[in-house]
Order: sequence, then structure tokens, then C-alpha cells
Amino acid sequence: MAADSITILVVDDEKIPRALRSLILQKKGYRVVAAASGKEAMELLVGGVFHLVLSDQMMPGMTGTELAKAIKSIRPAMPFILISGVNEVPADASYADRFVSKVGGPDLLFNTIAPKY
Amino acid sequence: MFKTDAKMTADSNADLGTRREKMSDQDRANILMVDDQASKLISYEAILGPLGENLIKARSAREALHHLLQNDIAVVLMDVSMPDIDGFELAEMMRQHPRFQKTAIIFISAVHLTDVDRIKGYRSGAVDYISVPVIPELLRAKVSVFAELHRKSRQLERLNSELERRVEERTEQIRENEELLRERADLLELATEAIIVREMSGAILFWNAGAEALYGWQREEVLGKLVHQILKTRFPMDYSSVRAILARDGKWEGNLTQTTRDGQEVVVACRKALKAGGNAVLEINRDITAQLKAEDALRKTERLAAMGRVAGIIAHEINNPLEAITNTFYLLRDHPSLDEEARYYAKLGEEELIRVAHITRQTLGFYRESRHPVPVSIPGLLDEILELQTRRMEFSNITLQKHYRSRGTIQGFPVELKQVFLNLIGNAAQAMPAGGTLRLHVFESSARHSRRPAVCISICDTGIGISPENAKRLFEPFFTTKSTKGTGLGLWISKGIIQKYGGAIRFRTLSLGGHNATCFRVFLPDAEFQKIDEPSGVDLATSSAEEIVEGSHGR
Repeated sequence: MAADSITILVVDDEKIPRALRSLILQKKGYRVVAAASGKEAMELLVGGVFHLVLSDQMMPGMTGTELAKAIKSIRPAMPFILISGVNEVPADASYADRFVSKVGGPDLLFNTIAPKY
Repeated sequence: MFKTDAKMTADSNADLGTRREKMSDQDRANILMVDDQASKLISYEAILGPLGENLIKARSAREALHHLLQNDIAVVLMDVSMPDIDGFELAEMMRQHPRFQKTAIIFISAVHLTDVDRIKGYRSGAVDYISVPVIPELLRAKVSVFAELHRKSRQLERLNSELERRVEERTEQIRENEELLRERADLLELATEAIIVREMSGAILFWNAGAEALYGWQREEVLGKLVHQILKTRFPMDYSSVRAILARDGKWEGNLTQTTRDGQEVVVACRKALKAGGNAVLEINRDITAQLKAEDALRKTERLAAMGRVAGIIAHEINNPLEAITNTFYLLRDHPSLDEEARYYAKLGEEELIRVAHITRQTLGFYRESRHPVPVSIPGLLDEILELQTRRMEFSNITLQKHYRSRGTIQGFPVELKQVFLNLIGNAAQAMPAGGTLRLHVFESSARHSRRPAVCISICDTGIGISPENAKRLFEPFFTTKSTKGTGLGLWISKGIIQKYGGAIRFRTLSLGGHNATCFRVFLPDAEFQKIDEPSGVDLATSSAEEIVEGSHGR
């Protein structure tokens, strides 16, 4: 599947990091839809077509892993990648398919997403 | 024949009365009165009655003997002239019987010279006579003396037997005390603490089995020697202060550093007390070396954990903006509106940013603890460690040789694997204070027994080597050759981690012509390893040199 036919749902509560992460993914050719919370992501997911969810871990309300659990319960096949500034893998990270560090740079992020497509 | 008892005064009667009351049945002496004439017996009875003694009457020598056999008689008062058996004959019979040899006899007789002579013939025992007419006071006095004598000797006998009983009791007590002392001595030997008694001068008087076990010195080797000289004791304060406290309080407590027979330093919790009399010191020492090390290790672990938590928080706060800036530069880098110069500036900024990201990964990410195994590249891990060590190794004039012949990726936890190799590389570097060569090999192998594919990592140095006696204890907890600098836990923990992966750690140390080579080899099994080159089987440790020691630890 070509990158431009893949839509990624980017979830992050922080506005600037969310925007920049969306921009680099777009520059790489992906289509991006952004959500500012787990709740918003769930709403978008129900109404739209997505190929992958890339979510921050530490968010108020619903954490990344809680979002992963919720998504997997309705879309078990939906690829889910967790991105975090904390280098510690959360205890319930197994709901996510992959874990990627924020400081790995854009290339590490692309490499983490690519094998899924 | 009898004079009236004119001299008996009222006072003396009262005295006798009092005495009679005071005397118990047991104290009363038996007085045997022997006469064939009943009237005389009655008058003796009247005369002696006031004495308060027990009066027994016998009408014949035969009857008298009967009473003698049945009672303990103090005095026999007998008429010399009696039909059948006279007084002398009776006395003769009594003297032949051992029991009556000392029984007092008072003969009553009309004064005949012959009688007096015969009476004087009785040299042994208490014999007396009273001539007729009997003077009541005299009779009473004589009987009284003998009765008293008898009572005294009976008392003496009682005292003697009481004394014997007490001696018996005391002997029993002493036996019990001895038993107790033996028990206590056994307890002293049972104690795991070192129990020592020494003179004030320090000369050892007592040294229990616990002391033998702790210090390695046998009792007979140390008795009489100076304790602190033998054990090279170091006090936590000036020794004169210890002595002063001991003199003032009679006791002292504190930790001492001492040296065992084989040269090992031990820390003991010591309790000293001055012995009663102040001429000796009792000392109980408990080995707390391992306990102190464990506490120290725990403190270090806690400190590391705290540092890890802080690092995690800082990492998060730095990493979030760092990602945003990195992404900004990524977007900026190829932006069409930038001219050559601006692009150059952006490139410089991005390069520096990569350095920052790198540092946070190296340092702040160092404490991260993953909960699920992730793919870990062993060469990548080694490079990360080497990067932290580069400056130190350059400073120590250590040359590095790397041969990575496998991608060596295994499923694992990066933090603990890093700890293993940081330990091994750190040890190797420390073994070469004067410089040398550190060789790192990563290649594919198979676990010795299971034949499962494994990544083999070999870390070799040309340092000071490992002596055979140290080699035996290398993987023991708290064993360290680095004195106070090492916790002695590094290799022990490393071995534990490696075993958790189903792996093994082995080492060899070789010595040839003054040159040493020490190789640690770690096997980490993994099914998913990928080959870069054909495994070359490069094997430094088993190459030519003469082998001294091989230690094999793990499965």
C-alpha cells in the first residue's frame, strides 16, 4: 500500500508536538488525522477509516495504553503504536503493538510504522 | 539414813522449776535408779525429782539391764550391795557392752575402804560414788552434773549429725553448681559469637569455638598472646578512650575492624565488659561484615532506584520538547524557501540536536526498566557502553579491538543486559591500570549442552589476571578484589541475570611469560539471531597459551 493511501490517527494532548508529528508524517506521504485526547480519538475512529493509530502515552483522562485497550476491543486488527517521552515501557503496554521513543527521531518513527504497511 | 533436804532453798526450787518447764521431753535425761529396796528408790526419786529429769526405777541388776537396753540412760545410780547381782557386777557387765562403756555410774555405798579402792579402779568413764548416809544435795549435784554432761554430749552428737547433713547438702549444691558451670561452658562453645576473656594487658585467657571459627586461630595458638596484636584490631576511636570508658562504665560497645588468620578483614559488633574485680575483660564479638555489605549494597540499590525515578521524570520533561524540536528541524531541513546558507544553519542545529537526543538516551534512559522483553542488539548495547567508557579508556591507554561477527539480537531487557556488560567491560578496564588491549568479540555459537543457537560475547583484557584462589570465589556475593571500591556484587548479579536468560558465563585466565590474558565469555541463547558473516569461530581464550584456571559458572 502506498503511503498516501494510508491514514494515521495521531493522538496527543500537547498541541505543538501533535502538530509537528502530524506534519512530518504528512511530509513522508501519510494522510494524518489528529486527536487531542483518547475520547476524541474514539469518536473519530467510529466515523472514519484509519489504518493505524499513533498515540502518546501520558495524557490526561485516558492514557495511551487505555486507548489501545479500548480500540482493540472494537477493532482488534487496528495497528496501534505507542509513543512516549518516558523511556519506561508502561505495565499494560501489551495492548499496543509497538512502543517507540520520542527521542529516536523521525527516521526511527518511520521505521516503526513502515513494517505495518 | 537420809538427811533432810535443809539446804534446798525456795530460790533454787524455783530455778529447777523453771528449768523443768524449759526442758522438752527430748532434752530430759534418763536416770536409772537401781536398788533392791523400794523405799530407797522412793527416796532417791524424791531427792532427784526437782531436777526434772526422767527417773526410771529398777529393783534388780537384771531389771536395770533391761532398761539400759531399752532406753538411752544418762546416769545409773546403783546400790553396791544387792542380792543376786551386786552393783560392781552390774557395772562390770555394763562396761563390757560398747554402748554402755561411757554411761555414768554413781555407786551408793557404806564407806568401806575396799569399796572405795574398787571404785577408784574404774579409770574409764564417768564413775563416782556417794557414801551412806546420802546427802540429798550432793546426790542431786552429782546426778545433775552427769545428766548435764549426757545432754551436752547428746547435743554435740546432734550438732555433729546436723553438721554432717549440712556438709552433705553443701556437697550436693557444689555438685549442682559444677553441673551448671559445665552447662554454661558448653553454651559458650555453642555460641557462634567469638567469646574472649583477656587480662587487662591483653593476654588471652579464654577463646571459645566461635572465636576459632571467626578468626581461624585455634585456642592453643592464641592463649597468652595479646588479643589486639593477633587480630590487628582497629577501633572506631582512640584506644585510650575505649579504655577510659571501660574503666568508667565497666563496659564498652562498638564496631571493630579485625583481621582473620588468612588475612581477611572482618567487621565485628563488639561488647566488652570489665570482669568483677576489674582485672580482666570479657568480650563478645559478632561478625557483621556480610550484614554491613548487604546494607551498603541495599543503600546503593535504593540510591540507584531513586536516581532512576528522577531520571525518568527529567527524561520525560526533556524528551517531549526535544521531539518537537527534532521534528521542526526535520521539516526545516529540506524546505524549498531556504537558501543554501539557511539550510546550512538548519543542518548544524539538527546535528547538535541529535547530540542532545543521544545524551538523554544514554544517560537519562539508562535507568529505564522495560517490563516486556524487547529485541536487544548486543553489539549496539556494547557500543553504547563503550561510548560512556571511551574517555576513561583513552586516559588509561587502553586499546580497543572490536569484532562483531553477528548482529546478536536477542529478546531481552536492555537495562539488565547493559548492567552485565558494563560490569565485565568495567572490570576489564580496571584490570589494566597501566594500559593494555580490550578485545570484544560477538559471534554465534551454541549453548554447550542444549545446542541451542546462542550469541556469544567474549570480553578479554591483558590486565593483571586473576589468581587461582580468587578465581574460586569470583562469583560469590560480596567477593571483591577492589577493596572498598567494589561492592562484590557485580559478577554475582551478572551471573544471576545471565542465568535468567538460560545463558552461561565462563572465564579463563592465562599467564605466559609475565603476560596475562583474562577472558570472560557470556552465552545468551536466542532463536532469532541473524548472521552477518559466517561464524569464524575466533576463540582467543582457547588459543595457544598455557592455561591456569578455568571457571565455569552457569548451566
